[in-house]
Amino acid sequence: MTTLTISGLRVAVGGKEVLRGFDLTMNSGEVHVIMGPNGSGKSTLAHAISGHPGYEVLDGSVKLGDVELLSLSATERERAGLFLALQQPMEVPGVRLIDVLEAAGAEREGLAERMADEARRVDLRPELLHRFVNVDLSGGERKRAEMVQFAILRPRFAVLDEIDSGLDVDALGAVARRLAAATTEWGCGVLAITHFRRLLQELTPTTIHVVSGGRVVATGGPELSEVLERDGYEPFRVPNPL
Amino acid sequence: MTTFAESATSFISSRPNSALRARAWSTFESVGLPTTTDEVWRYAPLSELDLDRYAVPATPTLTPQSDFAVALGALAATVVRVLDGFLVDIGEPVEGVTVDLNPDLTTLDGDDPLERYASDAFALANVALCPATVVVTVAAGTNVDGPIVIVHSANASASFPRTHLVLERGANATVVEYYEGGANAMVAPVSEYRVADNASLRLVTYQRLDPTAWHVARTTGLLERDGRLSQAVLGMGAHYDRSRNDADLRATGAENELRTTFFGSGAQVHDFRTHQFHRAPRTRSTLLSKGAVADTSRSVYTGLIEIEKGAKRTDARQTNHNLLLSPDAHADSVPNLDIRENDVVCAHASSVGPLNALQRWYLESRGVTRSDAERLMIQGFFLEMLDALPPALAGLVEGDVALALASVPVSA
Repeated sequence: MTTLTISGLRVAVGGKEVLRGFDLTMNSGEVHVIMGPNGSGKSTLAHAISGHPGYEVLDGSVKLGDVELLSLSATERERAGLFLALQQPMEVPGVRLIDVLEAAGAEREGLAERMADEARRVDLRPELLHRFVNVDLSGGERKRAEMVQFAILRPRFAVLDEIDSGLDVDALGAVARRLAAATTEWGCGVLAITHFRRLLQELTPTTIHVVSGGRVVATGGPELSEVLERDGYEPFRVPNPL
Repeated sequence: MTTFAESATSFISSRPNSALRARAWSTFESVGLPTTTDEVWRYAPLSELDLDRYAVPATPTLTPQSDFAVALGALAATVVRVLDGFLVDIGEPVEGVTVDLNPDLTTLDGDDPLERYASDAFALANVALCPATVVVTVAAGTNVDGPIVIVHSANASASFPRTHLVLERGANATVVEYYEGGANAMVAPVSEYRVADNASLRLVTYQRLDPTAWHVARTTGLLERDGRLSQAVLGMGAHYDRSRNDADLRATGAENELRTTFFGSGAQVHDFRTHQFHRAPRTRSTLLSKGAVADTSRSVYTGLIEIEKGAKRTDARQTNHNLLLSPDAHADSVPNLDIRENDVVCAHASSVGPLNALQRWYLESRGVTRSDAERLMIQGFFLEMLDALPPALAGLVEGDVALALASVPVSA
């Protein structure tokens, strides 16, 4: 078993501190959901731990097992076992997904077939993967295509930023089932970021974290979602120190 | 030892049309090779060009074609082989397609080539020294299934291929022109493409000559009413690679899409010149030039959009992006507009800069190393050019491009 430990993480974007001492610990095979209102720092967390340019880490640590991710390049973080699915997966014209996955270390032998199988598991037409990365794909198709990347790369932990945005109910179900299967197939830890509760109907979490003002303000089991359902985020809101 | 001039004189006297050829040769001699004081030749390493290193061959030098050319041919509807400018194989018969040799040296418009190419030394040399014109005609209304591949192999030290592609009214075809060979050689092709009313030609020119070659090419598209020429030019090889690609949009509704891309390494120079000439209403041109230069290589892109008075509702767009991969590489971009009509949409943009950092990060966050991410993105410039081709054939060219790029140190 491996542990992902985020401790005291402080991150600034454009000179403004957005994460202010973020702490979260999870084990492989678990499903954690981060919920919070817009602007609470959820996406910043996802981008900062995967090394997105433009996010300045001020302090803190993100460890995957014993490996400090924050001192690694984006490539090394993925290779250490971290995968990020983006809210809006990026187009890369001229580049094919199969070449990306091979360059990322996937076994070329049978790769196209494995990609096609994984595409079918999330109800994505496999021929869409022959296009350049995310080019001419709808928002939902891009997210399903990222699930194919995820399944081929088999990360130890996957961080999914706003996984449910742009997905209809059927697509969300397909993606959630794929993630859930990964927790048993290879013990993948899943950290899903959302501000919609409907994800929780599809993806059964081990733990829910409520984020407000750039830090975790409440952690609990699935019962926490009932509180959110009844009272919304307001009880969890912390005064903004700026 | 024979000089270039001696080999040329002997070649000319042995060919049909020797009077016209002799006139072209004497014009070539009086025009002389360009010099770098001439703005349009400013970046060419002309001081290295010694014509006496070259000789005009009387006959083609037969050599086996490369494995790549063979593989390309296997995926084609038909393969036309041209060796040192000489047509050696007209390929398999294809319904509605004829491949002929024309000893006549006039332009596709039937004009005197000395007028058309009056001050262009290399095109004049081509008129004088090409073995004959290779003419590929697609008959009216014919829709050719699969690409027509023309393999140009340069084995002699100098070759002057001359090609005319004619798509008659309503015809539809994809043509691949592939250039290989050319070690220590000069290759100076002249091509003209006529796209008649409602015809459509998708053309991919893949230049993969030896890194010691001088490649000086000139192409002209002649577009009739609602004719469409979609042309992709991929410059990979040669020491000096010059490609002048013109389009004459001479009738209403004609459309020209031109995409050029290049990759420069070592001390290569890629020199692209374009001229989109809008002479009729509702004509459209889109031009995208995208390339990368590494090591001490350099690139030049100079494009002119010219819109004649009366060419109302013309839409012309020109974009050029250059990528510098080393501090010693250099890229110049010179877009020009000459517009004599008000009712038009015209735009141009150019940039010299690094790769898109967010796209690169996205690939890195999938576990791809920085150098592989950059290589994939640069390779992508070329792959984007191949969408006219059937997937299997595009895949083959992609593999060849990847192979060519694999040996080059890339760091943006």
